[in-house]
Amino acid sequence: MILPYLSVAVLVVATLYAAVVSFRQPSESAAGSWIFPAAAGRRVRIFVGVATLILVIGIGSWFALSVQHTVRRSSRFLIPDGYAGWVRVEFEVQGAPALPVEGGQYVLRIGPDGSLTTSSLEQFGWAKDSYYFDSVDGLHLIPDAGPQSLIWGKINGEAAGVSGKRKYEEFFVGTQQQFKDQGKVERRTIP
Amino acid sequence: MLPFAIYFIAGTVTGFHVYTLLSLAVYGAPFNPLEFVSLLGSFGLLIAAYVSLFRPNAGARIALIAALTVWCFYGPAVARILRTRHGTQTKISRGFSRPTAPGVELG
Repeated sequence: MILPYLSVAVLVVATLYAAVVSFRQPSESAAGSWIFPAAAGRRVRIFVGVATLILVIGIGSWFALSVQHTVRRSSRFLIPDGYAGWVRVEFEVQGAPALPVEGGQYVLRIGPDGSLTTSSLEQFGWAKDSYYFDSVDGLHLIPDAGPQSLIWGKINGEAAGVSGKRKYEEFFVGTQQQFKDQGKVERRTIP
Repeated sequence: MLPFAIYFIAGTVTGFHVYTLLSLAVYGAPFNPLEFVSLLGSFGLLIAAYVSLFRPNAGARIALIAALTVWCFYGPAVARILRTRHGTQTKISRGFSRPTAPGVELG
């Protein structure tokens, strides 16, 4: 909240200082004064150059590390063929099976009622998840982007119920019109 | 070193502030095209900081131009905040007469 005020304050100082230096008469002494110094010496230039290099490397490293930390393992959702409606995955459920990993992806096999419970932790970060209709003749990719998308309203949340706190992920499977129409239907509650 | 510090800090702080405002556009927040102009000005201040190490007067001129570019965004923003704080609502209230309360005799 202090940033806007700080920005204006330093901008005022920079503008006034630059205006004074631009329009003042040049000083007679070659060294200048402390407030209006002449060109910096060789040592100062080297110091600034090295400090800038360290700063750039530091920012670059921090950026690279933060990008690495925000990447997660992607998930493959296997949804019963022809299913339309909300899908709910509940994480950290004691006694439930852990999510299997196949080909570097978590595999989430959704039940016929559109739900899945797992003891695995919920993953956060950037990843490209994929969605498939699981039918007897194999897997069929479900479009999850663009006007032909069949995946809508993906949310992550945490809710408290009788059985304690639960982390969950929800999304809707169906056409955009079905997604809009279901807004009037009551949402399910945690058992 | 003083001009370098002034221009560098000004460029970094204003640039970071405007960058945070622009990044809100990812979440659907509307952005002002002047924010891009301001960001360019912040970059100019950083350049002025390094130029001032070699040629203080040239650096100051670059810094002045860059600072005025940054003001393109901050000027209207500050003016708007001040107007809102001082509550000049003449346009809205124009043409309306304030209703007067009936006289009440106390005591």
